[in-house]
Amino acid sequence: MKSAKLLLRLSPLLIPYLILFCGGVFLTVGQSLGFLTPLPYTGGTFEAYTQLFSDPHFLASFLFSLQVALASALLSVTAGTLLAYWVWKLPQRLQTAAIVYKIPLILPHIAVAFVVLIFWSRSGIVASLAHSLGLIDAMQEFPNLLYSGWGLGMILAYSLKGTPFAMLLIMALLLRFDSRQIQAAYMLGASRLQTFFRVVLPRIAPAMQTGFIILFLYSFGAFDIPYLLSESRPGMLSVNVYNLYFKRDLARRPEAMAMLTFMFCFAVLLIVAYSKIVNRLEDAERKI
Amino acid sequence: MKQLGVLLLLLVLFVLPVIVLGLTSLAPGWRFPDLWPRTFSLAGLDYLLKNQERILVSLGSSCLFSLMTVLTTCGMCLAPAAVFARFAFPGKTLLEGLLLTPALVPPMTFAMGLHFLFIKFSLSDTMPGVVLILSMFSYPYMFRALVAGFQNMGQEYEICARNLGAGNLRTLLSVELPLLLPALIAGGSVVFLVAFSEYFLVFLIGGGSVPSFTGTLFPLLSSSNRALASILTLVFLFVPVCLFLTLDTILVRVYRRRGLI
Repeated sequence: MKSAKLLLRLSPLLIPYLILFCGGVFLTVGQSLGFLTPLPYTGGTFEAYTQLFSDPHFLASFLFSLQVALASALLSVTAGTLLAYWVWKLPQRLQTAAIVYKIPLILPHIAVAFVVLIFWSRSGIVASLAHSLGLIDAMQEFPNLLYSGWGLGMILAYSLKGTPFAMLLIMALLLRFDSRQIQAAYMLGASRLQTFFRVVLPRIAPAMQTGFIILFLYSFGAFDIPYLLSESRPGMLSVNVYNLYFKRDLARRPEAMAMLTFMFCFAVLLIVAYSKIVNRLEDAERKI
Repeated sequence: MKQLGVLLLLLVLFVLPVIVLGLTSLAPGWRFPDLWPRTFSLAGLDYLLKNQERILVSLGSSCLFSLMTVLTTCGMCLAPAAVFARFAFPGKTLLEGLLLTPALVPPMTFAMGLHFLFIKFSLSDTMPGVVLILSMFSYPYMFRALVAGFQNMGQEYEICARNLGAGNLRTLLSVELPLLLPALIAGGSVVFLVAFSEYFLVFLIGGGSVPSFTGTLFPLLSSSNRALASILTLVFLFVPVCLFLTLDTILVRVYRRRGLI
């Protein structure tokens, strides 16, 4: 096929990609350097960046976002893997009932955050349960999970949303997995744990890795859940950007954009590193 | 025994929240330390009925821009997905990787830069602007599904149709699209869900002028009236589920009538 014709057929996707996505990123970077800002910018080209990186609050926010993203992605993938494996081992009849796991996939993020509020706040369902079990006598005795400074509320919400997503990815691989391989492993004397780690896990590893990176990047940069559940300090990066963009002086626009540029570069770095790891893994598999 | 344990775990994790939402919506006064509401009332439903116009408008608007996003992404991805499924060309892996990034990087990073452009071209605060930004963020799901769909279909049907004298349009409409329907529905439902449940992008580009269901729900979530927020959250679950069930039924009927199953 001639390359001109090829480009023509790719153009419905390439043109919006170049204008909207690349253009959007270009404008973000441009504004972070002081070009095209709503107010004429008087500072130097890299002033927003020097300001950003000398701000200890920014570093704290970055580490906090990393921590929340890492914890929720790990929790989601671990829980998703175990649940997917258990559901896959259920008899066909019960597997149909297990479809309820898709419920949180349909709920929007803000609704999942609301569910976490209802369950885990100090006046929530779990606190009531602890009270009726006699574990606590008053509301104040229930640990202040949502505002502990560890981002536990966000981690819970992201995990509730992320676990079914990981399950979905892993189940798709398990569907094509021949269960006789497990019987063979048992017959050859492997224990349950050995079978899971040596036979099943290598097979579903690609889905676990893809799931991890998608969930990690999402919880690193998304706005909806942190806006409802985050604590003021140190906030998630996305909430800081929102505050700088909408609530502060317009003159501080380059700072917000510098923060976004930083987040973008970090995400791209992760995507690149990840795709290399995946390629290497697949090559290694092929050699065997 | 273990089987029941797994099912119970799934129920506690994923169904119990919905049950609790149902109870909260009927018991506005449900407070600590009651494990079960003391009184039930329909106050939440009352409020819903009083504000039904505003809620229905936002629900309709959300459905509208989500469906338009599905159509837009479909139009964007159809021809390129065919190219990706059928031809090899230099730089294909890199291009595929690049084309999938908009779903992976934080959407804020390009949406906030784009906001400036949208204001210049008066696309902000309009429905087309919202559809464009949502399409940009969600098309990779459609693209992936369609590439897989084209790969499953193979090229034989197209060649056969062309041999029998069908033109480009005819081949697309009466041969390829019907065969791609499952892939289109798979990609379309993900795109619909992403668009329907997005809060921030709609808020940023739509301002207050494009009503959205998430925008209506958001302020209620942190208010003290949990009953109303619960009812609206349940509506959120209900609308997509109904839509998917209807689609499924229609699809099965169409396939039956054509003798495909």
